[in-house]
Amino acid sequence: MLLAYVIATGITTGALYALVAVGLVICYRTTGHINFSHGELFMVGGFLAFTLHVLLGVPYVPSLVLAVLGGGLLGLLSDRLVYRPLISAPATAMVVATVALSFVLRGVARYLWGGQGEYVPFPPIADPSAVMIGPIAVFPQQLVVVASTVLCMALVTLFFRLTRTGKTMKAVAESPRAAYLVGIRVERVYAMTWSLSAALAAVSAVFMAPLTQLTPDIGFGLLLKAFAATILGGLGNMPGAVVGGFVVGIAEAFAAGYISSSVQEVMAFIIIMLVLVLRPTGLFGVKAAREV
Amino acid sequence: MEQLKRILRASVVLAAALGIAASAQAEEGVTDTTIKIGTMGALTGPLAGIIVPQFNGIEIVFEEANAAGGIHGRKIVFVREDDECLPSKGVGAVKKLLYEARPFMIVGGGCSNAAIAQKPEIVAAKVPWVVTAATADALSEPVDPYVYTTMSAAWTEVYGMLQLALDEKKSRIAVVWQPDAWGKARIEPLKEALKKKGVTAIAIEEVAVEPTDLTPTALKLKALNPDAVLMLLYPKAAVPFLRDSMKVGLQPLAIGGSPLVEIDQMAKGAGSVEAVKNVRVIAAAGFGVDDPQVAKWKEKIEKRFGDRFNLYHMFGIAGGQFVVEALKRAGRDLTRERILAVMSTMQMSSDAYAGPLKCTPADHQCHKTLGIFALKDGRVSGVGSTTPTR
Repeated sequence: MLLAYVIATGITTGALYALVAVGLVICYRTTGHINFSHGELFMVGGFLAFTLHVLLGVPYVPSLVLAVLGGGLLGLLSDRLVYRPLISAPATAMVVATVALSFVLRGVARYLWGGQGEYVPFPPIADPSAVMIGPIAVFPQQLVVVASTVLCMALVTLFFRLTRTGKTMKAVAESPRAAYLVGIRVERVYAMTWSLSAALAAVSAVFMAPLTQLTPDIGFGLLLKAFAATILGGLGNMPGAVVGGFVVGIAEAFAAGYISSSVQEVMAFIIIMLVLVLRPTGLFGVKAAREV
Repeated sequence: MEQLKRILRASVVLAAALGIAASAQAEEGVTDTTIKIGTMGALTGPLAGIIVPQFNGIEIVFEEANAAGGIHGRKIVFVREDDECLPSKGVGAVKKLLYEARPFMIVGGGCSNAAIAQKPEIVAAKVPWVVTAATADALSEPVDPYVYTTMSAAWTEVYGMLQLALDEKKSRIAVVWQPDAWGKARIEPLKEALKKKGVTAIAIEEVAVEPTDLTPTALKLKALNPDAVLMLLYPKAAVPFLRDSMKVGLQPLAIGGSPLVEIDQMAKGAGSVEAVKNVRVIAAAGFGVDDPQVAKWKEKIEKRFGDRFNLYHMFGIAGGQFVVEALKRAGRDLTRERILAVMSTMQMSSDAYAGPLKCTPADHQCHKTLGIFALKDGRVSGVGSTTPTR
């Protein structure tokens, strides 16, 4: 019984990490930068939905749509204010900029939503009663997260394969210079990438907030888990990030179930260290391909 | 001769003026019309959400006293200093407070870690300090002449939690705790309490401070069949624990401390009232946020600061009332020595606590009567009180 629960818990938690990791990967693939403010974009998306749905009483679906739009706009704004001015700067400048942005967003969130208390409960979308799947009980909200991860993955894949914008993003990811030479407006593609990534963070937040609760400081912890997932899957590899998310989630659940609850939280760090030492390119690494 | 007289007259006038000035500035932080009181805690950072409400609670009491004409004609000036609840920043912040703002006394100190680092500075400066929220036993034990606390010390809550479980005839007791400074300040006193009462915990499980899912922990505990779980947790960990415990069918008596007093909010977080049906909370505050006893303060806080009234405001209100009462009793000739003498035998009631605030020269932990709370009809309601002893 414990094993079944551990696997189920790992899958549902892993779906959560995978969803956040996908946003990180989209950014990295196109811009070559890791967005260390991605966790905070997630957090702001969640609080936007909370404000609309809980505080203002807007129905759930319009709240979701508006929060995602708000997240996308925030991504665009971040691009204009932070990323675009640094487009030619060394990579370390972008690291510092995204970390700085994360602090700014956290501070703003504390200012705007800090008075709500230490954490903010977000009502579940689905019936809060657990349902039985075979011998194990699962919350419908957990199934919603798994389903939304699969759906988002499918949509993002289709976006990159079928749409002109997606293809230009892929072209820029392959070679910004070549893309520029064939007439692609690279800066605009970067802006769209930051925006898409932020919108995806908002989607993740809306689905996950009922499971994680919202606090202005929720972003960093989730970023770490998602980062472990992307490292494990291979930086820039989307299916790898999803697999990595599930592996991190399941590893955490196994650690809690069979070793000690206290080990659960350090599993992400252990995974990051092991991957960096044993297989720096991750399970589905694409580093070599980018260097060609 | 005439010149000598003029010099003498001028000297007398100057001496009188200096004397008046000296008497008006008799004590640092006190003028003829004001009393400066300082506080330090997290105004920014992750813990600002629980510290700022405490300060707002203190300030609302001071504002009420000021509106009533002040204390013996002096208005309280409340100065806040940000330490982010970090020991590394705390010492600098309290030095700035002590030597730049120069308050008459300090009221506050929200986090144990920072407060422990700040204590030597405050004691060295011989400034009276009323701790309003930090709970570490080391702040008030052994007794220091300059330090008083209106918050229940860490040992008080854990002894109360265990006593409640034993009073309910529970014998298979498990403990779930979070390994941060707050949790560490409680787990040792709890182990000591278990030992003193001759109880062996069937499990002591450490969980993450901000977990996403605690199903494996709940399953492990379920296998041990506890009839009570003592939760040394903040809501971020307690909510997933209660939610996942309900999911796997583990719902023994679950007893938490002050941070869990907003049981209704935890029910929302867990998505179901069912998850908290067996939760009891031992809290420093004496009343639920919707209790008529604190309705006046709830209205004032929400109107003045726009906060959602909560437990942390009550800690501040009690601390503020304690200080205002002490200042009143100390009289117009206010000195630090005098207020310390007053506080050493202080006994009073606060609007926010279930029992009296009572200090003695040998015991500066002035608050020991804790409220017991449960969720009734969707509201956090007081279901009793307890005064734990060691």
